[in-house]
Amino acid sequence: MYDQPALEKKLDNDTIKIAASGVQVYYGEAHAIKDVNVQIQDKTVTAFIGPSGCGKSTFLRTLNRMNDTIDICRVEGKILLDGEDIYDPRVDPVQLRAKVGMVFQKPNPFPKSIYDNVAYGPRIHGLAKNKADLDEIVEKALRRGAIWNEVKDRLHAPGTGLSGGQQQRLCIARAVATEPEVLLMDEPCSALDPIATSQVEELIDELRTNYSVVIVTHSMQQAARVSQKTAFFHLGNLVEFGDTSQIFTNPKDPRTESYITGRIG
Amino acid sequence: MTDATQFGAEAPKPKTSILELDKRTRKRNAAETRFRYYGMAAVAVGVIFLVVLLGTIVRNGIPAFTQTYITLNVELPAAKLDKKGNRDPAEIAKVTTFGYNGIISDALVTALKDNGVQSDMKDADLRKMLSSSAAAQIRDAVLADPSIIGTTQSFRLLASSRVDGYLKGRVTRESLARDKNLDAAHLDIVDQLQKAGVVSRSFNWSFIFGADASESRPEQAGIGVSMLGSLFMMLVVLCLSLPIGVAASIYLEEFAPKNRFTDLIEVNISNLAAVPSIVFGILGLAVFIQFVHLPQSAPLVGGLVLTLMTLPTIIISTRAALKAVPPSIRDAALGVGASKMQAVFHHVLPLAMPGILTGTIIGLAQALGETAPLLLIGMIGYIASTPPDGIISGFLSPNSAMPAQIYEWAKRADPAYYERAWGGIIILLIFLMTMNIIAIILRRRFERRW
Repeated sequence: MYDQPALEKKLDNDTIKIAASGVQVYYGEAHAIKDVNVQIQDKTVTAFIGPSGCGKSTFLRTLNRMNDTIDICRVEGKILLDGEDIYDPRVDPVQLRAKVGMVFQKPNPFPKSIYDNVAYGPRIHGLAKNKADLDEIVEKALRRGAIWNEVKDRLHAPGTGLSGGQQQRLCIARAVATEPEVLLMDEPCSALDPIATSQVEELIDELRTNYSVVIVTHSMQQAARVSQKTAFFHLGNLVEFGDTSQIFTNPKDPRTESYITGRIG
Repeated sequence: MTDATQFGAEAPKPKTSILELDKRTRKRNAAETRFRYYGMAAVAVGVIFLVVLLGTIVRNGIPAFTQTYITLNVELPAAKLDKKGNRDPAEIAKVTTFGYNGIISDALVTALKDNGVQSDMKDADLRKMLSSSAAAQIRDAVLADPSIIGTTQSFRLLASSRVDGYLKGRVTRESLARDKNLDAAHLDIVDQLQKAGVVSRSFNWSFIFGADASESRPEQAGIGVSMLGSLFMMLVVLCLSLPIGVAASIYLEEFAPKNRFTDLIEVNISNLAAVPSIVFGILGLAVFIQFVHLPQSAPLVGGLVLTLMTLPTIIISTRAALKAVPPSIRDAALGVGASKMQAVFHHVLPLAMPGILTGTIIGLAQALGETAPLLLIGMIGYIASTPPDGIISGFLSPNSAMPAQIYEWAKRADPAYYERAWGGIIILLIFLMTMNIIAIILRRRFERRW
């Protein structure tokens, strides 16, 4: 079981949640991801950094098969979630995405009420037996999304009426409401102001107790602040992967060093 | 770098003031002002055309909504209507409308005498003031209730179309000079009877709800039955084109693979929207009537043909509405583990609904006003004189449609029919406007929800 947050505050970082080996991604003829091998640990925040167009978002989207929605996209290699290949033909991507949730770059709440936004996932996955159950799930998710106190009095107001930072936290709450095991975040703070960013970052740190979080970010400071592991992508290659402290203080690869010191990017 | 060195040696720019307009700016501003005037002129021309069009329609069509009636006290002598005196309906029915003409003439003569109108006109000529439907009207009343035989009843009988036209200003004494149906002398009588209140004009409900009449009785013709024809046609169009169109667009937009074949389908749908409607008419004739053997002139067939015509409109507007839904909504739904179908039906479709509804209603309005395809399946030229007696016969028995009815009236020689055609156009326009208003209201409603 992965859901024993209170008891096991001490993190068992050694469990490998996602293991990717030899992953190649093609967009038509373009070779977007070249032979990436990476192991993402459970209850850890892993940051993907790299210059624009280096493939970090593409790689993130392969982890819950969101790339399936793009016709010309082709993925090769193996990505194991708890030892099971997610590209196995028997896997239904819908079921996979319930386990591997995703938060997007731009806050994208449904144009429905705050309550319905969060309740949507549990509803379609049948997680709640009745209304009271659902209310509880929604409250729990909104609390985890660190937005409960702000919206508890207006759960039936439209989600699109919130501020950008609140919307993004609502989206995070929506993602955790389905009880995923992994949470993928694609530049979750790029559309937010510094205050909202710091709120979301705090939230990410809290989420680590329950989930394995993978975050794509443009901001190296953010990667340094929130992550324990960092992967540096460049031109579709995974250049370096290691402990965040090591990547930022003692990078092994000269390209990593150039990037984090601001010479390429 | 090279650019800078190449142009670096240029002479310093002359000092200019921003308070003065230079030549280029003046020219640019002049062009902009000109363009604005072009735009205003274009809008003005459009508005003028619209005003003239609507003004003409209303001016020509309004008279159709009133009708002249002559109120007569008709004596119904048993000696003429029920010779044997046994009130047997079969016996009474033997008296044709011809037999009632004498009664009507007598009633007219009495009316003239009562109101002090002097006339030396023959009875048969006098009767020309009345519609030829008057005899049938009295006969129907007698057949419906034989007990009125032997009494004197008050009847509101339709005046002939020329008397009606005289009251509306369409017919004058001069224009009657070569008319063998009515003389100037009739008009003198009409003038006096109008003063006495025997001849009067009132609102013409039977124009809106009544049935079409034969060529010689324009005063009796109404658009009601063909309105029903249009209604049944629109039901067919709505029930077929909305589900088929929306399903097709959702599939093409959200699920279909993008390949040569779907590209071909896409191009063809766009082309179909531009196909002349008469082509759909001949297709309907060949397929629905000659091959499937559906009844001719039936609203069902009309509806099927118009469905074919409306589908491209609905598909194109639905696809545009689906495309306009931001992809982030789809991502959000897929991201929480919704299936593609759930994403479409729970999120994309509700957001696209206003656009879909607008497209559908505009498609329906287009179909409602369509005339050409009806020509080929026999809905034009059919005299819609009997209303359908049920829902099934509404779909299957021959009928006309509003635009077909208007065309039919415009084709007929009597100027009274010309007036009816304009009146029909007013009714059709009211329907179209109502539909468009409904579209706007629905769109507002749906938008407010989000």
